[in-house]
Order: sequence, then C-alpha cells, then structure tokens
Amino acid sequence: MAHLISRQKALREWKLYAFILPSLLMIGVFCYYPAVSAIYHSFFDWKGGDTKELIGFDNFRRALGDAVLWKSFLTVGMLIVFNFFKMIPSIFLAVLIHRIKSDRAQYGYRIFLVVPMIVPGLVTLFIWKFFFDPNLGALNNVLDFTHIKDLLVYIDGIFGWDVFFANAPIGWLSQPDLILPSLFIWGFPWIGTVGVLIYLAGLQGIGLEVYEAAELDGVGPFQKFFYIELPLILTQVRLSLILLIIGTLKDFGLPLLLLGDTGGPDGRGMVPGLWMYNRAFIAGEFGYACAIGMVLFVFILALTYINNKYVRVEK
Amino acid sequence: MNAALKDAVGSYKQRDWPKHFFVIFFLIIELFPLYMMLQISFKDNDSFSQNPWVPQPPYSVTETHIDGTGDETHILRTATWTEVFSGVEAAPGVTTFVSGETDFDLSVYRIGNWAEGLKTILPAISNSLFVAVTGTFLSMCFAVFGAYFFARYKMPFGGVIWGAFMLLMLLPGVANIVPLFTLLKDMHLLNTLYAIIIVGVASAQVFNIFVLRNFIEDLPKDLFEAAEMDGATHLQQIRTVVIPLSMPIIGTLSILAFLAQWNEFLLPLIVLRDGDLFTIGVRLIYLDGEYVKQWGPIMAAYFIASIPLIVIFLFCMRLFVRGLSAGAVKG
Repeated sequence: MAHLISRQKALREWKLYAFILPSLLMIGVFCYYPAVSAIYHSFFDWKGGDTKELIGFDNFRRALGDAVLWKSFLTVGMLIVFNFFKMIPSIFLAVLIHRIKSDRAQYGYRIFLVVPMIVPGLVTLFIWKFFFDPNLGALNNVLDFTHIKDLLVYIDGIFGWDVFFANAPIGWLSQPDLILPSLFIWGFPWIGTVGVLIYLAGLQGIGLEVYEAAELDGVGPFQKFFYIELPLILTQVRLSLILLIIGTLKDFGLPLLLLGDTGGPDGRGMVPGLWMYNRAFIAGEFGYACAIGMVLFVFILALTYINNKYVRVEK
Repeated sequence: MNAALKDAVGSYKQRDWPKHFFVIFFLIIELFPLYMMLQISFKDNDSFSQNPWVPQPPYSVTETHIDGTGDETHILRTATWTEVFSGVEAAPGVTTFVSGETDFDLSVYRIGNWAEGLKTILPAISNSLFVAVTGTFLSMCFAVFGAYFFARYKMPFGGVIWGAFMLLMLLPGVANIVPLFTLLKDMHLLNTLYAIIIVGVASAQVFNIFVLRNFIEDLPKDLFEAAEMDGATHLQQIRTVVIPLSMPIIGTLSILAFLAQWNEFLLPLIVLRDGDLFTIGVRLIYLDGEYVKQWGPIMAAYFIASIPLIVIFLFCMRLFVRGLSAGAVKG
C-alpha cells in the first residue's frame, strides 16, 4: 500500500501532481471527452459538421425500429455462440500440453504457439481471406481433394439449401447463406494463443498432490479432465469467455475487411459495430451512429457488470 | 519439481506420444497459413495455380513444339515435381509437342516478388515503426510517472483520480470512434501520424498504470527512503530506484504496447488519407483491395510486415510469452 501521509507533507509534495497530469489530461481529452460527446450527440440530428439539431430521443426511437440493427444483433449473437464452440480446441490443447511429461517439450510447444502472434493480425486475416477465395483458395482445394465437396453437394441435394453446386466452386464469401458458416470455419483450428497461455497458467497452478491422489484412486484421463482440470481452470475459462463476448460485440474490423462496409452479400455479416461505422462514415449520419454506439454500449456495460458481479477473477 | 509427482499429471500408465502427436497436429494446422505465405511469396500466379501446395522444384522446363508448318517454338516454364523425377510428357490433346527438357534453374524462385513487396511495404513499415516506437516510449514514460504518483504516497484526491482511471476499464471504447474522429478533426490532427500515437498512448494508460502501480507498491519502501535521505528528487528516485527495479514488467508492458500499435488498423484507416503516411495496417488493406492480385508480391509484403515483430520475438522470447499471458488479463 502507498504511504499514508499528513496534509502538510502532501502540500509540500505538490509537485507530485505533475507526474499524473499528462496521463490525466490524455485520458480526459481522448477517452472521456469522446465518450461524453457521444452521449451528447446521440440526441442530435448531426451530419458531422457545425450544424446540428436537437431531436430528443428520435435517434433512439429510430434505432428501436431499425431492422438492420436488430438483425445485426442477431448476427453478433450467432458469432458469440460460434466463439463459445471455438474455445474448446484451446482448452483441449492446453490440457494436452500440460500433461506432457517433459518440461523441455512443453516449453518448445509454448514457443511454437506464440509464433502465429508475431505475424500482424491483419496479415493472418488476409491470408484467411485468401483461403476462402473460390478459385485459388486453399479451402476449396482441400474440399475438392478430399471429396468432401461431393458430400456437401449430396447433402445439399437432400436438404435443398441451394448453396453447393457440383460444377461451380463454392463461393464462401459471396453466397449470402454461406456467410455465417464461413465465419464459423474462420480461423480453424481456433487455437487462440492468448487463450491457451491463460489456461496453461491456470493448469500449472493445480497442485500436484491433487493429481497424485487421483492417480491413487485410479482415475482415468478423461475423468481427470472433467473432475480436476476443467473445474479448476473454470476461472480462466470464464474470464476468456467474457473477454471473447465483449470483444466480439465491439469488434467490427473483421467483417469490415472481410465483407466490406455493407456487411457482405445481403448484409448477412452486418454486426452492430459495423452498422455504426457504416452510418457514420458512409451515410454521414453521425448523430444516429452515436445513438447506435450508445445501444451497443449499454449491452457491453451490462455484460461487464455481470462479469464483475458474478465472475470472480483473481489477479 | 518432484519428478515422481509430476508423472501423476499425465498418469503413470499413459504414454506421451499420443499427446505429442495431437499437439503437433494442431500446431501444424495452426502454422499452415504461415507456411503458405512463405512458399507463395516465391511464386508467380501461374506456377501457384499449377502447384499451390508445395514449394517449386528448382528446375525449369523448356518445351519444344513443332506445329503443322514446321515452325519450331520453345516454351520456358517452371517444372512440377513429377516432371523432375519422371521426365516431361506432352499435355493431353497437345499434338505439336516434341520434347521437353528440365534444367536446374534457381530463377524459378521469384526473388523479384520480394523486391516488389519491399517497395510497396517499406514506407509503411517505417511509418509503423515510428508510430510504434514513439508510442511505446511515450506510454511507458507517462505510465511510470503516473504509477509512481499512485504508489509513492497517498496524495489528496489520489483516490478520485484512481477511480477516474479504473472507470475507463469498464467503458468500452466502441461508441467513441465517431466523436474521436471529429475531435481529431477539430485539433487538426487528421491525416497525421501524431493522432495515432497520441490516441494509442492515451488508451494504453489505464492498463499500464494499473499494472505498474501494483508492481511499484511491492518494491521495498526502504529504498525510496534511503534515496530521499540522500536528497534525491522524485525524478531521481524514479530514475535510480523505480526504473531499474521494474525493468522486467516495463519490458513486458512495452512488448504489449508495441504489438497493439503495430496491429492497429481501424483508427489509421479512418484518420489517414495520405498514401505516404499509411501505416502497415492501412497499406495492407489497400493492397488487399487491388483488383488484379499478384499473390507472390503480396505474400512477400505480408512476410516483410512481420519482420520487425520476428526480430523482437527472437530477442525477447521469454518476455513475449509472459507478456501475452499478462495481456490476457487486460480485458
């Protein structure tokens, strides 16, 4: 803890305030001011210029009736569900690495895990986009090569999806009905470097005597996972789940770069953040964009509240 | 660590090789994009569509064709792996084919792709380096000062100021981007690199100060008192006590800050208009937007964009791994 000091001493040390001033000024100007300004401008009809007109709650009323916005929340909900499934391989991999007996091998695998992080995130994104290319892309090539595509076409024939055709390459990012599946496949095998490292840190905190006791009781590898490892890293799992949800809600970089500012064919990839970006920088409706931001903000704040209230995280 | 105890983690009876097998399998898929990036960067579009998966063999093929009128033509192209081992055969339906020869030829690797990639990405790299280095340095300076303020004494209003910082951890920045844009416009910072640096520094403050405060508070108080006895000012205390002792955590935070600045693309995309000022992110976005794509140079440019991070990674692997684990708690 910091020293408790007397008022006299504090007065003598007034120069200390100069140390916090730059940071305080910066967060004031670049974090608080925009936030307050966003709240303020959400009540205005504002095109980004000097003229604006107070319209009360009209922006919010419009947001309530905005079909695109609600559909975008549905889409982002789907993405969150996807991300829930995408957490599983990371947990699985972390447990595998943890159980390897040789420390040297563990360290080596950890380094290889970090290697994808040294590639800028955008590069990974574009390489994946390239994989989805209908003609040259790796995904279609793999599906052709393994004849999974024939299977897909066959299943399509049964259910009548009308998305896979035997004589045409699969248009992953150009078929409206394939946008969400593409976003699901995105990033296969869904190993999140940071996620695995958190789980590993959690796993390493488990006392060895717990394992020893389990071993004496003749507990098998799967039971070990369900009765020891999973419960004991649940803190980490919940933490990364909540980070994932908030991150997914906020993020619009991926759909913007992947599908463009209209959310791709038929707007299937539109998420709330992207709709805000679209209204502000494409349509020029800055006031309405601020209102969308507010709606999104309320969602995230609620989640953060739930997180802080129900998810205990030891730091 | 007790070896016998450690055996219980994976169980005495189980063998290790299935685990190694699965882990390696996952890692191979995980690293597959990087492999593709590297091998495509040495190909042109033709040899890529002919042979997408593996690197080129270092051979070229000279095909000799004689058409109906007796004219002899030579076609030079890159060889496939089967042609290297079992000789060149006529493509089905081609009647003019006479013979084909494979020659050892290193020029099938398109080094030119790298030159071209370098030309497109180098200005962006220098911009990004400027942004990331300045941004990291500034945010570390301010964060150390700020953390020192909170950790050294309990100053009046310290709690209120701390609250102002912590509240920002809860505020999601998403709604901010529109007002931030107009704010930068009013400050005449649009289309400058300073805008990106200063916004990056500001938004990194909260987390950095939070971590550094906890660290500095754990430093022995005697050191500060001894320094004060010797008549050290606060700046001198920071320089001689705080910075040397918290170097590991500063290193970790610096790597996180650098990564964040390097990967930033939304703000630069909105703020920067001038092609000369593009940072890596924006340049890559524009590169992706080109209509006819030469994948070779693009992949080379992608790889070159990663080189600064690779260099950092090689020199501070330990800090990197730890920094990423710490960054996860960031929220």
